[in-house]
Amino acid sequence: MRSPVNWALLGLIIEQPSYAYNLAQRFERRYGEVLPLSNIGHIYTALGMLGGRSLITEIPGTRAGRQPKPHYRATALGVKEYRQWLVGQVGEDRRRNQLFVLALAALSNEPEQVLEVMAGYEQAWLSEGMRTPIARVHDAAADSASALLSRLTEEENRLAVGAKLEWIEYARQELKKLRGLVRRA
Amino acid sequence: MSLLELEGVHKRYTDKSGERVVLRDVSLRAEAGDLVVVWGLRCSGRSTLLRVAAGIEPPDGGVVRFDGHDLISHGERLLGGGIGYCQKTLRFADGQSALDHAMVGLLSRWVSPTKARSLALEALERVGAGHCARMTQRELSSAEAMRVALARTLALKPRLVAIDEPVKGVELIDRDPILSLLRSLADEGLTVLASTGESTGLSQADRGLILGDGELRGAPPPAPATVVPLRRGIERQASG
Repeated sequence: MRSPVNWALLGLIIEQPSYAYNLAQRFERRYGEVLPLSNIGHIYTALGMLGGRSLITEIPGTRAGRQPKPHYRATALGVKEYRQWLVGQVGEDRRRNQLFVLALAALSNEPEQVLEVMAGYEQAWLSEGMRTPIARVHDAAADSASALLSRLTEEENRLAVGAKLEWIEYARQELKKLRGLVRRA
Repeated sequence: MSLLELEGVHKRYTDKSGERVVLRDVSLRAEAGDLVVVWGLRCSGRSTLLRVAAGIEPPDGGVVRFDGHDLISHGERLLGGGIGYCQKTLRFADGQSALDHAMVGLLSRWVSPTKARSLALEALERVGAGHCARMTQRELSSAEAMRVALARTLALKPRLVAIDEPVKGVELIDRDPILSLLRSLADEGLTVLASTGESTGLSQADRGLILGDGELRGAPPPAPATVVPLRRGIERQASG
């Protein structure tokens, strides 16, 4: 199962069992632009997929009534696979990083162009670092789970910016050496 | 005219391993109320840049101006007046409290002890370190030490503060309040030029710059808006 929407939905069901419409609303609140839903039909498709893999199950008795609202909860298998998927994100990050470097290699005959791309890439990460908000002073009483979630996200982002800037600095040095070699050749 | 201007600044050091260029044709402008953050790796020259910008260290070439004055010839006079330089390393004298430390710059400028105490307390309060006034260096956390260092600088009422590594060594969770403090100082009209080796320090900066291999890179400051004289337009309309 590769779709991040399916995994994100499974996470919401683990967090709190619910029915499709409520899940769609929570999905948009939680993931917003990070993982946009094309329409609510996307949720029904994902529920079908998760049910088919026995990662969720319908809660008995919730389909009754004039307006049936079947509720779903995660199975033990669903929780287990969700945790494995979370840890597996490290591999996703690695693939994304590799993709950039491999795609950049297409310009390797023109070190000047590579350096120009790197300059743009550096500027983009720098802007990202500046855009990151400063977390408000912690107020234990008002510190809701969503505020904590937001702080954790931003902190990870800021640290990622640092790692990227360091990598770019290293890559620039190496590329400058390569440019020297190409010129000499 | 910008409050701080660096044009074509060069700086090099010579040691046993030879000559090392730390600033290569560096240009930088900062206006009143700007929060400018320079990111760089270790030994990239970011602290040197700050010392040159604050007039503490002369460049080997180029021009550094503060409020239109050449810092190379006026540096000593401006440092501690219009320019404040804040380094995190605190060196209290034996038995000295944070309040004593914050008063040092004022007393060395012949401000009366009573006035110096009042200004230092005000500065400590401003940076959120009022509660540290009686503490000795050993009693301060790294975040509090940073605030006290900043209070010492702010007590002199500078227009520009060059602050070296404001979040270095500060616990991750204590960094945001310090960044927030710097942002608020800039919002009040103070020009803040900070260096950082950690990307956290870039948050909410008006301008972020990168210093690497002696070059200062990053988006240039926005060009001043072109002022079109209204009268000329009116005259043209009238003649048309």
